[in-house]
Amino acid sequence: MKAKLLIGLAAAIGLAGTTASLVGVRPAQVGALVGMKSVPHLHQPRTDDEIPQGPYGDIIRQGEQIFRDPGTYAAAYVGNDLRCSNCHLNAGRLAGAAPMWAAYTAYPAYRSKTKKVDTFAERLQGCFDYSMNGKAPPLGDKVLVALETYSYFLAKGLPTGEIIEGHGFPPLPKPDLPGDYTRGGQVYAQNCASCHGAQGQGQSSGGKVVFPPLWGARSYNWGAGMTSIESAANFIRANMPLGLGGSLSVQQAWDVATFMDSQVRPQDPRFDGDVQSTRAKYANTPMSMYGRTVNGAVLGDPAVTPPARQMPPAATTN
Amino acid sequence: MRHAATTSIIALALALAAASHPARADDAMIAAGRALAANGVMAERPGCASCHMQNGAGQPDVGIPRLAGLTEQQIATQLTYFATGARQSPAMAPSARQLSPAQRQQAAAYFASLPIPPQPDPLASPAASRTRGKDLYLNGDQRTGLIACAQCHGTTALGVGEFSPRLAGQSASYVEEQLRAWRKGAVRDPLGAFMRAEAGGMSLEDINAVAAYVASLGHTETQAP
Repeated sequence: MKAKLLIGLAAAIGLAGTTASLVGVRPAQVGALVGMKSVPHLHQPRTDDEIPQGPYGDIIRQGEQIFRDPGTYAAAYVGNDLRCSNCHLNAGRLAGAAPMWAAYTAYPAYRSKTKKVDTFAERLQGCFDYSMNGKAPPLGDKVLVALETYSYFLAKGLPTGEIIEGHGFPPLPKPDLPGDYTRGGQVYAQNCASCHGAQGQGQSSGGKVVFPPLWGARSYNWGAGMTSIESAANFIRANMPLGLGGSLSVQQAWDVATFMDSQVRPQDPRFDGDVQSTRAKYANTPMSMYGRTVNGAVLGDPAVTPPARQMPPAATTN
Repeated sequence: MRHAATTSIIALALALAAASHPARADDAMIAAGRALAANGVMAERPGCASCHMQNGAGQPDVGIPRLAGLTEQQIATQLTYFATGARQSPAMAPSARQLSPAQRQQAAAYFASLPIPPQPDPLASPAASRTRGKDLYLNGDQRTGLIACAQCHGTTALGVGEFSPRLAGQSASYVEEQLRAWRKGAVRDPLGAFMRAEAGGMSLEDINAVAAYVASLGHTETQAP
């Protein structure tokens, strides 16, 4: 049961569809793995100057553009202020930050989230439905083709059907104490608020969000993999604060993930009209706060929950 | 240990940010700052403009940074660091110490109010170096785990709020000097934990390349590829 749940979580965050940990890497080494220490046997994705000229290279470049700025280059499908590169750091290249090269080789895969075998393009659709609080581009759409082409470009040389070192977010051990909202709020104020804002609203530059909103109407919705406290803790410990991955303790990572994932955010697009019924179907895990009462409100209750798929007015005509 | 130090300096940064949060600069403050820039505070010491220029362009070729385009709080905070010694600078410490806290705020308000002046021709840098710099800036480096500069300074290097300064069009020599100082572990700034981690993972060639790239960016919106 537990293994099944974990498999679901791993699949939900778009990784290899399996929970196999980083080969030979203990959790204590997580910071070193994704920090400054060099790990020479990790896959080295190709660089921009290796993108070929011509129509094939043009689509790779388009995919990279979308990846950095989906709100501009895939506007019809994006309903919030996130960028792919907010979680998939270094534009999908960084090990331990769900790199696209490792994700590419992991599909097709059975996913408990969809209860079927998903292709890589179908997995990308899920990102738009949930993490981007938007709507999925149809299969074959140029947005999906470009993102898949970019990922394929980064994955050159990797085997399929293998666990790729550096995939996903490195799993953390359980904390000594259960994740705690109040302690997490303190961790947030000290380590996260200077970039993400005291209210989790994120920060912009030149009219574009650089530090993503972590909750609220412009963040990921309740269907996103990042609503799993475990996934969030894994990501945070390995990668946050930016450049200082591994600096938070395991306990702090779980606490601040609990804090972040206990906030209001857009509705799960699979919402069936009843929060507890929706929780039972799609979020039936102690790692999700959906349907739980926090600060006097039930998370997911339509009265306090922004709608799913808040598409910009301009995008709805596309 | 490292974690405790990181936490405490970030907490300090937040406290400083809260304490020094400026009121919106009004015209009188800007005018006072303009006079300080032109004339300084005493006859035998020149004003800010003698090095940074009255239009805030700085002197990119000799590594004197452009101030136009930075925020009032960024400039005022750095002036305070120079004055207190939190940021070590033989060049800036005497000037910053001459200014009262109110005058530092006035000078900051003035330079922050300026439009970004036309960019002087950037010093020639090899195209290969700029290409490498662009790759590091936008994509980081998987070999060393370097986080892309763009993650904090934005893909167009315009900086983000009070957290990260604008880099587009900044003096290459200045950026290089600062990165070298961070790389050597400069304390300088409570938020410096981020830059020490970044620069600590960069080679001197990397630093040179990134500096050349950001200096080459125009002062208007430029799009990453």
